[in-house]
Amino acid sequence: MIGLLKSMATTMKHALDGETFTVEYPEEAPEVSPRFRGVHKFSQERCIWCRQCENVCPNDTIQIVTDDQRNGEEYNLHIGQCIYCRLCEEVCPVDAILLTQNFEFTADTKDELAYNKEQLKNVPWYKDIDPLESREPDRGAWIGEGEGELDYQ
Amino acid sequence: MTLSDTIAGLLGLNANDPLQFFLAAIIASAIVGTFMLVNVAIAGPWAKRKITAAFTDRIAVNRIGPFGLMVIVADAVRLLSKELIVPEEVDRPAWDLAPLVIAGSALFGFAVIPMGNGIQVADPEAGLAYVFAVASLASLGLVMAGYASNNKYSMLGGLRAVAQNLAYEIPLVLTGVSVVIFAGTLQMSEIVAAQTGTLATIAGIPIPSWYAFVNPFAFVLFLVANLAEVGRNPFDTPEAPTEIVAGYQTEYSSVYFVLMYLGEFIHIFLGGAIIATIFLGGPAGPVLPGIVWFLIKIWAVFLFTQWARSALPRVRIDQLIEIGWKGMLVLSFANLILTAIIVGVVV
Amino acid sequence: MSLEEPGTRDVGLTKAGEVNYDELEALLGDAVLGRETHLNAEAFVIRPDAVQDTLSTLKEEAGFDFLNCVTAQEYQDRYETIYHMTKYDDRTQEVGVVVPTSKDDPVSESAEPVFRTADWHEREAYDLVGIEYADHPDLRRILLPETWQGHPLSMDYDQTKPQIVTLRENKNPLQEDQRLNDDSDTMLLNIGPHHPATHGVLHVEATLDGEQVADVEPDIGYIHRCEEQMCQQGTYRHQIMPYPDRWDWGGAGLLNEWAYARTAEELADIDVPEYAQVVRTMSAELSRILSHMLAVAAYALDTIGDFTATFMYGMQDREVVQNILEDLTGQRLMFNYFRLGGVAWDLPEPREEFFEKIRAFIDDLPEKLEEYHNLLTSNEIMQVRTVDTGYLDPEVAKNYGATGPVARGSGIDYDVRRDDPYGYYDKLDWDVVTEDGGDNYARLLVRLQEVEESAKIINQCVDLLEDWPEEDRTIQANVPRTIKPEPDTEVYKSVEAAKGELGIYIRSDGTDSPARFKIRGGSFSNLQTLPEMAEGEYIADLIASLGSLDTIMGEVDR
Repeated sequence: MIGLLKSMATTMKHALDGETFTVEYPEEAPEVSPRFRGVHKFSQERCIWCRQCENVCPNDTIQIVTDDQRNGEEYNLHIGQCIYCRLCEEVCPVDAILLTQNFEFTADTKDELAYNKEQLKNVPWYKDIDPLESREPDRGAWIGEGEGELDYQ
Repeated sequence: MTLSDTIAGLLGLNANDPLQFFLAAIIASAIVGTFMLVNVAIAGPWAKRKITAAFTDRIAVNRIGPFGLMVIVADAVRLLSKELIVPEEVDRPAWDLAPLVIAGSALFGFAVIPMGNGIQVADPEAGLAYVFAVASLASLGLVMAGYASNNKYSMLGGLRAVAQNLAYEIPLVLTGVSVVIFAGTLQMSEIVAAQTGTLATIAGIPIPSWYAFVNPFAFVLFLVANLAEVGRNPFDTPEAPTEIVAGYQTEYSSVYFVLMYLGEFIHIFLGGAIIATIFLGGPAGPVLPGIVWFLIKIWAVFLFTQWARSALPRVRIDQLIEIGWKGMLVLSFANLILTAIIVGVVV
Repeated sequence: MSLEEPGTRDVGLTKAGEVNYDELEALLGDAVLGRETHLNAEAFVIRPDAVQDTLSTLKEEAGFDFLNCVTAQEYQDRYETIYHMTKYDDRTQEVGVVVPTSKDDPVSESAEPVFRTADWHEREAYDLVGIEYADHPDLRRILLPETWQGHPLSMDYDQTKPQIVTLRENKNPLQEDQRLNDDSDTMLLNIGPHHPATHGVLHVEATLDGEQVADVEPDIGYIHRCEEQMCQQGTYRHQIMPYPDRWDWGGAGLLNEWAYARTAEELADIDVPEYAQVVRTMSAELSRILSHMLAVAAYALDTIGDFTATFMYGMQDREVVQNILEDLTGQRLMFNYFRLGGVAWDLPEPREEFFEKIRAFIDDLPEKLEEYHNLLTSNEIMQVRTVDTGYLDPEVAKNYGATGPVARGSGIDYDVRRDDPYGYYDKLDWDVVTEDGGDNYARLLVRLQEVEESAKIINQCVDLLEDWPEEDRTIQANVPRTIKPEPDTEVYKSVEAAKGELGIYIRSDGTDSPARFKIRGGSFSNLQTLPEMAEGEYIADLIASLGSLDTIMGEVDR
């Protein structure tokens, strides 16, 4: 009986201390760590179209189209297929890719989850986190980009 | 003076004419039934969630209305608007009747419960016997639901429910009988009246002669047997969601599910009402009106079931039966005999 | 541990206690066709009709009592089955048994009569590669549906052709109700694949006699995601590492990553800097706490029913660890933190703050564990539910190749972290937890105590990291951008993951991705013991035993 009473006392203690651990999303957006890997952000200005990200991607999420002179034309990413491994960012020699902290996105069909380079450029920063505060290596180059809101409808 | 008499008086009906009295009684039943259903409506979709959330450090419903109270309406609309899925090859009349039997049997019990302020539909001399009788009708509903669903999980659940009710009904009634020995009557109002005295006075605070204080052993026995009778943790083997999914209610959806769910909660409250009446002095209590005290007592029992649910693991079916037949039965007989001897010697 | 007389175990050992392969070869006699050298151990190539003799000789006379893994693969000219054998007493002593079979008639003798664990392993080999095993009691497909055409990992399999298994083609679950015989009173109950207690898509076919379980057969494969094949298509350097996380969604991702890292580092001969090893050890143990806490919380769910207090407390306590790991790795579940030769990131700055977080968690832990003991282990109802139910005899457990908390709950003193040290474990002070009960209660206790041991390890790692000289914080060794091991190098290595021993076999073919990538999931072997535990007991105990195994279907089905 002692054990049963101890169990009941433990739960009652939790009930009476009034502490909760619920995060009332979306009113209260959770804190994410600076290293958190969210939606892929892409900067065409810096991209040199070396295709390393395309090659390293474990499940062919990134699709790059270039013309005969190897000038970039399209940079598409199927965000529904992305596994957020951050390997693309790791291999990028020119910091043209950043996985933002942003994890809030939605779509009605899988089709809409295929982002082109404009959409990828305009991925918003999560909670306006200063890109400088973002993880190492220093991403100073990213300041001022991506203020635009992406229309997810 | 029962509620039926009062209503007959108010409407100018002749209480001696069976037809007119029947009309008054129906109105009284409707009032009491609605009152209890309101309690269940608060308990089921809202209070249960809030209580569980408190035990598990969460917030629970708080989006719709103040304190999330409108979730009651939202849930009602949601549940009633769902499709009623009738699985193939269910045993139709039994399958349809089972939810009604489960929900109805518990509601019948409230007819004889004195809720204070004269709210009691009827006060027969065999009140306590009647309450136990109709409350155990629910096991018929459970086995109907389990058998008629044509589902193995339901079948197991229904069988477990019957085995459990058989094992715990006897200790429950025997412990209730020990109170009858004290009170010398089966009539509910008389049992309540027998508890109005003062047992002792400790530091100037009078302890009422409620049977919970007179015979705490019987009270604990009854509380445990009642947990098993209404199938709450640690005795929720008939449902056992992680073992047999949800037992007898696996195949029920929509309105039938509501009735099942309702039945369960009314049963908890009926258990609470019986405990309040025969052990806690019924509607007795200082300052506040009787009906409020009655509500406090039945909600306290409800809270206790939820507390046990949050903390206690479920016993296995064979252990449950063993506890019932080898433990509770022996203890309740011992309690009965001791009570009889004490009452015989003292009185 | 063993009841055998001392002395018989010394066969095949040199004076220094190393495996003497020459003596073993002599012991096996004319069954041996040749020798191969794998990076982890020597392997004997034997005749396909001498499998049982060879394995039982190795088991009975040389003490190789643990059939760790069975790998099957197809070459241009032959099929091959490799039995990776080792000892429960000494994990460093390994031997491989290679059984080649011809292309036209891929039949070799089954090892099932010698090691029960071979049952599922060989069914999987038959299912995926197409080797047939003579004498196997029940050679059916295990991961793929019965109606599947061809063997996906064999060379002539057309991967471009989709196969759709319609509902009609599947076995009708309503038919064939009575398993044992027609006039018996038993009832077949399908538990799962969608059932609250199967923790994923596991299907258990239970034959019930009333409430008692007469026969149990786990049916797996519902979440087979071709993980082995995906790894075979990825490059060693980068692309494989994200996947081990996905074999375990209970939080043990880092431990799984380590299994791949260890194997690939052995294959490519990469040395990991000491600093990175400490970081790995610390993060892996955090990951183990995540997994064990989930196991305990979910076990409470199985026995208490409903998502009630203990489960939520477990979730709450895990949340703290998840936040720490999020700070470190950038994700809460699919970490992808290890790299070949080290880790992806150094500790987050400011380091003191990070250490403070970990210390705070470690300091709070005893109090929290006390709560679990109050809620579970000291609770009398929990005790009557778990003590002496789901009993697993140590010898049976060995026969089935059980590892991890399941083996240690049966009193088998076996932990890869200690027995075949890797990372920084051998330089730290911690104990292997064992309980002799062999029942559900013992396994629950083992997990709770292992959380304490993990906390001890983490604490020591934090001490080390705090004092680590700044100039010496190398998180990654110099690893070439492309790794191309020598062709036909074979290696089998394992680590102590949360659920059990997680082994990985890789054969290289000279390219930058593996030719064969085989995963030995700890849960795969552990789940196989379920019938031994559950038969004859009540259905509630079947659920409790299943929960106590802490299987994760991602690792079973892969």
